[in-house]
Order: sequence, then structure tokens, then C-alpha cells
Amino acid sequence: MITIADLVQDSSFPGNYFAPDAYVQGDFESGLIENRQGRRLLALPDTLLKGIYAGLESEVGPAAGTVLYNCGRWWGKNFHRRFSEEVSTYYRKSISEMEMVELLQCLRQCWKAHGWGIIELNVDHYQQGFLVVKVEQSAFANIAKSPAKPSCFLEAGLLSAFFSELSGTKLHCEQTTCESLGADYNLFILGMAKRLESINAWLEQGDDHASIMQRLCSN
Amino acid sequence: MITDIDALLYKAEAEYLQQQDLAKFKSQMFSLEQRLKIYELLRENEIEIFQPIANQLLITFPDEDQQKIERALKHWLSVLRYCGMAMLSNNQTYLQHRILEWLPVQIQAHQMESLEHTLFSFLQKRLRKTLSPEQFSLLQPFLEQAKTTLLD
Repeated sequence: MITIADLVQDSSFPGNYFAPDAYVQGDFESGLIENRQGRRLLALPDTLLKGIYAGLESEVGPAAGTVLYNCGRWWGKNFHRRFSEEVSTYYRKSISEMEMVELLQCLRQCWKAHGWGIIELNVDHYQQGFLVVKVEQSAFANIAKSPAKPSCFLEAGLLSAFFSELSGTKLHCEQTTCESLGADYNLFILGMAKRLESINAWLEQGDDHASIMQRLCSN
Repeated sequence: MITDIDALLYKAEAEYLQQQDLAKFKSQMFSLEQRLKIYELLRENEIEIFQPIANQLLITFPDEDQQKIERALKHWLSVLRYCGMAMLSNNQTYLQHRILEWLPVQIQAHQMESLEHTLFSFLQKRLRKTLSPEQFSLLQPFLEQAKTTLLD
């Protein structure tokens, strides 16, 4: 016997927390944007991002990627804290209590609402210790000026910190495919730093994502 | 509807609304009154609408896990609540963003399509009994939108 009165009493039936019309709120007078829990959001114009990339490139040269990656890590750590607090409050359960499918859906909607692209997780290589993240229409792909290799360092840092916090294990992130190089989407591999350290060399040898995954999994 | 009224409000900034526009305004006000009644009916009869559906589902799917049936019921309790508000504000985008972009992955992941199809057909029958044909016709586009997104 199922009693609807009990179902109705127990549940608040929350929908999509990140529905864009509800999630992003603006105050025209003060010029501020914030999310539905009143936390500040920052709009980053394309020109500013391009300026940061170009400025770093000229100041620190080839180290610009590392600087951006570390900025992304710092951002990702804070972002994870905010994400877990808000999602737990709205859905009335901690993210560790959420079903995987629910959590992934939250992530997808969150990425979309922030304008970072369409994110998909591939856990096919989870048993070998790797997580693959695909991002279509990435907000970060067309910032670097004529890149010679995948250049979404900020995004890689963000993913690395976010999934490290989520899994409780320090994960590194390497990008293997980039929209800025004409690919249809960005691909990132997450795993232990030591196991990912050859990826850059393999990319320079001309290996694509599939062969890199093969090499990683056979190691 | 809110957006239709908004359009008239904007128009009234530039000039007095003409008779034709005022007729539109009146018809929308009348429609809003009807929609409010439907919304109240859905709210007041939520349990009466869904209890027979729950009973029928247990008979139709005797071997199905009860938790799965409860989950499907929660989905549609939720969908009907959002359909109610979307109907009240005549806003299909609201329905799409708030719930219809949220549920499909979960329905697929739990392989609930067949259960939810049956639930939807029971729900339609219950709503036809609860609402008059005119009232049902105002809600139907939103139910169809939900069906198309979640089940087709």
C-alpha cells in the first residue's frame, strides 16, 4: 500500500536548482548579479579573459599555463564548497547522500547555468583510476591566442580541484582535446598526477585522446 | 499569460490601449481567473487525484519494487505541481527549465519509462474526472509538453 498523503508530507519535490531563470538574479540599480541564495556571481567578459591570458603570456611566458592551472585549482576548491553547500541545502541532503545520476545532473545544470559549457562525465575507465570529462562549447576554449596545444588551463585546474574535493583524493587533470584546436569538444583526463605525467609528451608525439587512454590503461 | 499582459503594459507606455487591446486584456483577466480555479483544484485534490493512481499502479505492476513506484509517483506529483504553475503563468519555458530538464536523465537511469507511461495515462484519466473539459483543455498543453519531453 502506498499512501500519497505520506509521500506528499515527506517530500518537497525539488526541481532543477540551476534553472537559469531562477538561478541568476540581477539587481540593475547596484549592477550586481547573484545566485538564488544571494551569493555573488561574477560575469567575466571575453575581452577580460583574453587580456588575462595575453598579459600572463607576456609576463611569465610558458609558465602562464601553470599559473592559470593553479588559479583554476584555487577557484575549483572554493567552487566545490559553494556547490555542496547550496545543493545540499536545496535538496535537503548532502552531496554524498545523492545518487550518482542526481549529482551528475546537478553538475550538468550547474555548468550550463554558469555558461561554462555542456559537461559530460565518462566513468568507463574508473576501474583503471581515470575519469574522463567532456565539455562542449567551453567558455574557456577560445581565449588563448593561436595555441599550439590544448590550452584550457583554468578549466583543467577547476576540474582537478572540484573532483579532488568530491572524491577526497588529490587528482590531477590533463587536457587532451581542445575546441581551440578545431575539435568538437574539450576532453580532460583526471587521475593521480604520477600516472598522468606522460600525457604531455604523448600529445607532442601526436597521439590523440583514444590512443592516450589506451596507453594509460595498459600501463 | 504574464508575458502577454506584460506586452500590453509596455504598449500602454506609448499610448492609451485601443478597444481591441482592452478586449485582449479582459480576455486574459478572465482566463487568469479560470486558471486560478484550476490551480486551486489541483492543489486541493492532489491526494484524491494520485491515491487511486498509486493503487492502480500496484495492481498493474505487482512485481515492481514499491520504492520505484513511489519514485515515479513523486516525479509526477512534482510534474503536476510545476504544470499547474506553468499553466497559471502560461509559461512553458518555466516548466521546461524547472523540471523537464531535470527529470529525463533520472527516468532513463532508473529504467522507469514503462512505469511512467502507464502512470501518465492514469493521471490523464484522473484529471479528466477532476476537471471540466474546458479546464482540462487549459492544462493539457503543459501535460503534453511534459509527456513529450519525459516519455516520448
